[in-house]
Amino acid sequence: MKFEDKIDLYSDEGKLLAEKVPIEALHPYRNPYMKEIYLTLKRTAIVDLGKLQGMLRDGRTGWSTTVGQDEIKMPWYGLDLDLVEDSEEIAEELKKMLQLKEGDDTNIISLEGGSLLVVQLPLEVLRLSADYSPAFTQVSVALGQIIAKKYGLDNPLDRPYRFGMLKNCLHGRYPQYVGPNPGNPVAPLMKVPSILEGMGTGYKSFMINHVVALGNNRTLHAVALATIFEQGAQFEMGNAVGWYERYQLLGSAFQGFNANNLVLDMVKENARGTAYDVVLTLMERALADGVIEEPPRKYPFVQPSGYKLYQLKDYAMWNAYGVAELLAAVIVNSGAMRAAQNTSAVLGSWNDFIAFEGGGLPDPDAGRVMGTGLGFGFYTHGLYGGAGPGAFTMDHVIVRHTSGFLTPCIVAGMCLDAGSQIFRPNVTSGLYYTLAEELPIFQNPLEKLAEAAESIKGEI
Amino acid sequence: MARPRRARKPKYKPQVYPGADKVSDRRRKAADPTKKLAKFRSIPDDNIVLLLGHRFKGESYVSVHPPLDELVEKYDPIKNIVEPTPGARAGDRIRYIQFADSIFYPPMAPWLRPRLYMSRLRGCDVMVYSGRQLLEQRERDIEASSKWLLETEVYDPARDAIRGITVHGHSLRLDEDGLMFDARRRYKLNKETGEVEYIKNMHAEVLDNPIPVGRPLTEREARGHDCTYRWDVAAYKSRTEILTVIARYSRGRITGGFNPELTEIINNSR
Repeated sequence: MKFEDKIDLYSDEGKLLAEKVPIEALHPYRNPYMKEIYLTLKRTAIVDLGKLQGMLRDGRTGWSTTVGQDEIKMPWYGLDLDLVEDSEEIAEELKKMLQLKEGDDTNIISLEGGSLLVVQLPLEVLRLSADYSPAFTQVSVALGQIIAKKYGLDNPLDRPYRFGMLKNCLHGRYPQYVGPNPGNPVAPLMKVPSILEGMGTGYKSFMINHVVALGNNRTLHAVALATIFEQGAQFEMGNAVGWYERYQLLGSAFQGFNANNLVLDMVKENARGTAYDVVLTLMERALADGVIEEPPRKYPFVQPSGYKLYQLKDYAMWNAYGVAELLAAVIVNSGAMRAAQNTSAVLGSWNDFIAFEGGGLPDPDAGRVMGTGLGFGFYTHGLYGGAGPGAFTMDHVIVRHTSGFLTPCIVAGMCLDAGSQIFRPNVTSGLYYTLAEELPIFQNPLEKLAEAAESIKGEI
Repeated sequence: MARPRRARKPKYKPQVYPGADKVSDRRRKAADPTKKLAKFRSIPDDNIVLLLGHRFKGESYVSVHPPLDELVEKYDPIKNIVEPTPGARAGDRIRYIQFADSIFYPPMAPWLRPRLYMSRLRGCDVMVYSGRQLLEQRERDIEASSKWLLETEVYDPARDAIRGITVHGHSLRLDEDGLMFDARRRYKLNKETGEVEYIKNMHAEVLDNPIPVGRPLTEREARGHDCTYRWDVAAYKSRTEILTVIARYSRGRITGGFNPELTEIINNSR
C-alpha cells in the first residue's frame, strides 16, 4: 500500500456504502468501475440514423450551427432512403462488419424505434489502436458501405455525386477540417482525438450539461461522474504522478465521492446558511479532525491583534477538505437560489474567506480554483459575453485550469437549477438522458464505485 | 419583504480578517455577519423598485419557471435539504443591482462587496469588474437586499452609485458637490434639502419624480468609514499584519501548487 489514508464512502442519502477504503482503491486505473467507465467512453459511438436519413433526403450537410445543418443545401442531390425503417438490418450488418470474431463483445443497442444506434466496438480494437478514433472512423466507414450496398449505390460510375453526398453526411468536412463537423450523425461519446484541446484531455471533453444528464440531474451522482471524467483526464495528462498522486486521490474522494460524508454533512449543517457559514464549518471540522491545528501561542504564529496563523498538519488533506467545502458552498448557494449562474460567484469569490479565516492557509487547489472561477464568472455573465455555465465543455479553455476540482462544482450548480438557464440540460443533452437510461453503467455511480473499491480492497 | 437572515453562532470563533487598526475593523465588519450594519437612512420600498427599474411599482413579479411547489423535478435528495429563498420558491426572474464605488474614501469597495454579500445573503450571484460589483438574486430577494444595502452604512450617496450601464467613474475626481462622476447624470445634489436625488433609475431611464436617497457623508464621516488604506486615514505601516497573512497565502499557494507534500514549508512561510 502506497498511502496510509483510509476513508468511508457514503451515498447521497448518507448511507454508508464502504468502510475503511484505502484511497488507492479510488485510483482511476485501479478501480474496476472507473476502468469500465473509461472503456465505455472509448468504445462507444452514437449513430443518429434519423438525422442521417433527413440529411440525405434534403441534401443538407456540412457545418452545423444552432439553426441546423445548413452549410450545404443541395436537395437535388438528395437520396430518399428509409434508414430508420431498415435500422434492424443495418445494425445487424454493422455488427458483422465491426466484430473481430463471431460472438465477441461488439454491441449495438437500438433506441427510439431504431432512429438511434449505440455502437460499442470490441475492446480489443481499442486496446490495439493508438487512440479511440475507431469509434468514429470504423463505424462511419462501415455504415457508408452498408448504405451503399443496400440501396444500390454500388457502382461509383453511376451518378458519383451521390457518393459525395453520402461521404459528406457521414464524415462531414473531414479531412479538409481536422474532424467531423459539430452535430455529425456519427459521433464518438468524446471529442474525436484530432480536435482535443491538449494531451490527455479526452475524458473531460464532455459538455457540463451532458454530465448532468448522465447523472439524471441527481447532484452528487452527476458530481461523481464529473469527478471520474476529470480525474481520468488528470491522470492521463500527467497531473497526478508522484508528488500529486495522493493530492488528487484525496481531493477527488472528498469532493467527488462524498468520502466520510463530509460534503453531505456540510450541506445539511448549512441548509439555511450562507456560503461564508460553510467556511466556518470547514474550520471547525478541520480543527476537530486534526487536519489543521492551533498555532503555538507566540509571535508570529499569533499576531499582535490576536489573529492566529493556523498550522497545517497535512496540506493534501487540507486541500481535500477545501475542495469538498467548495462543493458544499456551491450547493448551499445554488440550492438557495435554485439557479446555476451563481456557481462562478462561489468559485471566484469564496476562496478569499478561507485565506483570511485560516491565517493565510492556501485555498482550494492552491488558488487555481479562484483564478479559474473569476475567469469563468466573466464569461458566464455579461461582462465579456459567453455562454451559460452548462454549455461549457469540461476541457474548455476557460474552465480547464484546475486539477479537476472546478467542473464538478459547475455540474452541481446545473443539477440544482430549477429552469433559469437558456442552455438547460434537457435542451442541449436530451440524447444523454436516453443513454443514462439505457446504459446501466451510468446509474448510481456512488454505489457502484464503492462496491468496486470494496472488491479490490484486499489487493491493495 | 424578507429581511437579510440572522447570522448563526458557531462553536469555532471566527477571526474573519487580520489587523488591529480602523480600516481592518471596517473590513472585518463587512465580512462578519454577526456585526449589525448601522442604519443611516430610510427609503420606501416603492422607491427601491423605481430605482432598480426592473418592474413597475405595484406590478406583480414575473416568473421564469413555475413555483417550486408545483414544479415536477427528478429525484435528488440535495434539493430537499437546502432551503430555497422566497424568490426561488416562487420562481421569480433573476434581476440585479450593480454598485460603483469611488476610490475617494468609500464606505465599501468592489473587492470587499463579495465578502459582504456572501456572508449575509443566501442565493446570491456576485461578479466584480473594474470599479463595479454586480449582485444578482431572485427578484423579490434582490429588492430586499437592495433596501438593506441602500439604507445602511455601506452606502454613501455621494461616493457609491447604482449603475446598470455606463459604470465608468470610480477613479475620477469628485465633482464640485462632492459626487462621483456619472456620464449619465443619474443623480444630483438637491442644495435645498442637502440630499442626493436620483432623477434617473439604474438603467439611466428618466424617473417621473426625483427619488431622494439621503445626504452625502461629510468628509470627516467618510474618512471614518473608509475601507481602504491611504496616508490620511490609516498609515500603510499599520497593514503589517495583513501583509504577513497575504504573503503567507501567496507563498502557500506557490509551494502547495508546486508540490503538495511540502506541508512544512507552507507552515513556515510568512
